[in-house]
Amino acid sequence: MLNKSYVSAGFLILVFSIFLSACGPQREVTQNEVTQGEPEKPEELTLWAWEDTKAAFQNIGDKYTEETGIKVNVVAAENADISLDAPAGRGPDLFYETHDRIGDAYLQGLAAEIELTDEQLKGYQESAMEAFTVDGKLLGIPSSVETIGLFYNKELVPDPPKTIKDINEIAEQLTNADQKEFGFLNITSDFYPTFPFLTAAGGYVFGENEQGGYDTSDIGLASDEVVEGAEIIHSWHENGYIPESLTYDVMNGLFRDGKVGAIISGPWGIPDFEKGLGDKLGIAPLPTYNGEHLQSFLGVKGFAVSEYSESKYWAKDLGLFMTNAVNSKSLFEDTKRLPAREDVSIESELYQGIQEQLQHAKPTPNIPAMAQVWEPMGDALVFITQGENPKEVLEEAEASIKEQISLLGGNN
Amino acid sequence: MSKQKHNPMIAVTISIVPGLGQLYNRQFIKGTTFLLLTIAFVVSFYQFLNIGYWGLLTLGEIPGLDDSRVLLAQGIISLIITGFAITFYVLNLINAYKEAVKIKHGRKNDDLRKSFKDGWDKSFPYVLVGPGLFLLIFVVVFPLLYMILLAFTDYNLYNSPPKNLLNWVGFENFISLVTVPIWRSTFFSVFSWTVIWTLVATTLQIALALILAIFVNDPRIKFKKFIRTVLILPWAVPAFVTILIFAALFNNDFGAINNDILGPLFNQAIPWMTDPFWSKVALIGIQVWVGFPFVFAIFTGILQSISKDWYEAADMDGASSWQKFKSITFPQVMFATAPILIMQYAGNFNNFNIIYLFNQGGPAVRGQNAGGTDILISWVYNLTFETQNYNMAAAISIVIGLIIAGFAFYQFRRTRSFKEEGEM
Repeated sequence: MLNKSYVSAGFLILVFSIFLSACGPQREVTQNEVTQGEPEKPEELTLWAWEDTKAAFQNIGDKYTEETGIKVNVVAAENADISLDAPAGRGPDLFYETHDRIGDAYLQGLAAEIELTDEQLKGYQESAMEAFTVDGKLLGIPSSVETIGLFYNKELVPDPPKTIKDINEIAEQLTNADQKEFGFLNITSDFYPTFPFLTAAGGYVFGENEQGGYDTSDIGLASDEVVEGAEIIHSWHENGYIPESLTYDVMNGLFRDGKVGAIISGPWGIPDFEKGLGDKLGIAPLPTYNGEHLQSFLGVKGFAVSEYSESKYWAKDLGLFMTNAVNSKSLFEDTKRLPAREDVSIESELYQGIQEQLQHAKPTPNIPAMAQVWEPMGDALVFITQGENPKEVLEEAEASIKEQISLLGGNN
Repeated sequence: MSKQKHNPMIAVTISIVPGLGQLYNRQFIKGTTFLLLTIAFVVSFYQFLNIGYWGLLTLGEIPGLDDSRVLLAQGIISLIITGFAITFYVLNLINAYKEAVKIKHGRKNDDLRKSFKDGWDKSFPYVLVGPGLFLLIFVVVFPLLYMILLAFTDYNLYNSPPKNLLNWVGFENFISLVTVPIWRSTFFSVFSWTVIWTLVATTLQIALALILAIFVNDPRIKFKKFIRTVLILPWAVPAFVTILIFAALFNNDFGAINNDILGPLFNQAIPWMTDPFWSKVALIGIQVWVGFPFVFAIFTGILQSISKDWYEAADMDGASSWQKFKSITFPQVMFATAPILIMQYAGNFNNFNIIYLFNQGGPAVRGQNAGGTDILISWVYNLTFETQNYNMAAAISIVIGLIIAGFAFYQFRRTRSFKEEGEM
């Protein structure tokens, strides 16, 4: 029996080595030929959208079909699936994406570089284009932009506050915490709406490197200017203007019920607030500090061409069509997304304040390292509101961000 | 060819090609079937296995074209298929040998119908188990192998397929877990809290269950059924509902525990959500609440089965209540439930729900990148979904898996000893 098991072991090794000696697929690396001019039209293009924009995009897609004869198939999908679906040939030609996720898509090789002529570039906002640029490569065609503004209740605050001093004044006058009435509220534990105030005197998330990209080793969130901003935020809590464990639900609810003079919010909140406040809702740009406008984060949504699309030329063409002046305007009418174009004017009193603030908005860094900034900064803001030494807390947050970034594997 | 000359070794040797041995044994139908199956297997799977093994070894060669994740999956499936093939191959060799031995000893070949019947009788249990086993291999074993292999690659955010190829890095991930300072400090602080959490929360829930079970079982207690029902109620509410409600109750500013209990009574507010120490206290309290009814139910059943004679005998000898508890009740209860209790510890070690639903592993701790109450499994969740550090997450998962396997192994040991000693 022992003998036999030796023999069979020998056979097994033999079988194994036959498989292992096989040397994989035989193939040649083919370079994609660069074709000049218009390639042949595909029969249909697939566009991955989100549930809430699917209908609006399909309308525009149908217009494209009328013009070119290419069928546009809009699918409500999860962008996270592209990484596996696209290489397997089940992916989209064009996908709808926010600019701060485009760095991820670029690292995974999912978004193709888009080359636009000067003619095609005309009309788009420069900052929106910049938001979709990674390592000097344009990876998306911007469709809509958004940023935060100062939402105020015209009944309580007839004139929107122009400076941070004005804000402190209305907070002082209107706040009556026992009655759940407040002059000014902001979620100070969230870095996104608090960034403009934190950097009121100066400061930045990532510095620029020589190539015009972001330098993750240069974080500008613990300078003396930022400490000055941190002290403004701390004073709101110290003076009892803003309760410590305020949440979005509570703040939005109180504002909707007319109990708050002004809050910081974005265009996504407008429908809800309009229901409660009606005509009393006003939106102004963020206030100034020492005569300087506060700088908010700019968010851009747009269309990226899939690296795995077989008809990139037409995918890009569809992307340009989706975001042209006429269709940008109709997208605003359907979904209230502000066009990322200079040559479209929106006549809406409510959105005027947001549009003004857009002039002072800078894109959220689109590199994946940005994902490591939110949490440490949010924690730092909580410590600041609790009255801990801002300089120490901010330096710790910076160190923690750097540590997290190096954990990502970015530095090795 | 005389029967004595029939040589089993020849049967085995020419069975290198399955079927030939059976043909030599003059089992022509069986031999031909084996031969055809082998050819079919090689023809249909050769290309798949070829790519699979090549992919497993190289993880792809051309970035963008080869997707390492897909190749890894195909490689694992190739391994599984090879495993099946080897099993059948060995069975084929054994079969050829055994049949040849039978012939050598002068046994006639069975007729076909009888050999079919024998084969069916023998393989019937395997036919029944087969579908389940097949499903298990692809639903459990396959993902497990995939995870284990990922721990030996360099799959992170900056090296993500399909743009980049993965590479085998050996034990590098495990080594950096205990040598690179930032990994080491977080790993050990999270690990130590995980151990404390497991020991304290589980022991408390067992202790509470034991005390309550003994009280309720006391002959002097009335309305036993009612009390038992009430005590088992926390088990009837889904755990995640309980945890979410507790999270709301513990809220510093708006929760009932601070506002309606501690505030009016002691004029105090405890920072349950923002202070790591108090968060840990709250979590252990909630886990005791959620976990004790199950243990209580088991203890109650066992207490009722302990013979009254023993207590009577103890009374005769003048034993105190404590002595009775120490020498009769406690050993009896522990003896019967040890395996279940061990699994309670294992369950809490990986109790993701409560940690995540209470406050996502928070609160933040200055100078540390995992939250104050993160246990290993919730940290792995963060590494995977927040920072996309798949390789490190897989490596830590293996560590968790080994520890849980330790619990399970110990549990099986205990179960067996219980069975053997129980025959007294």
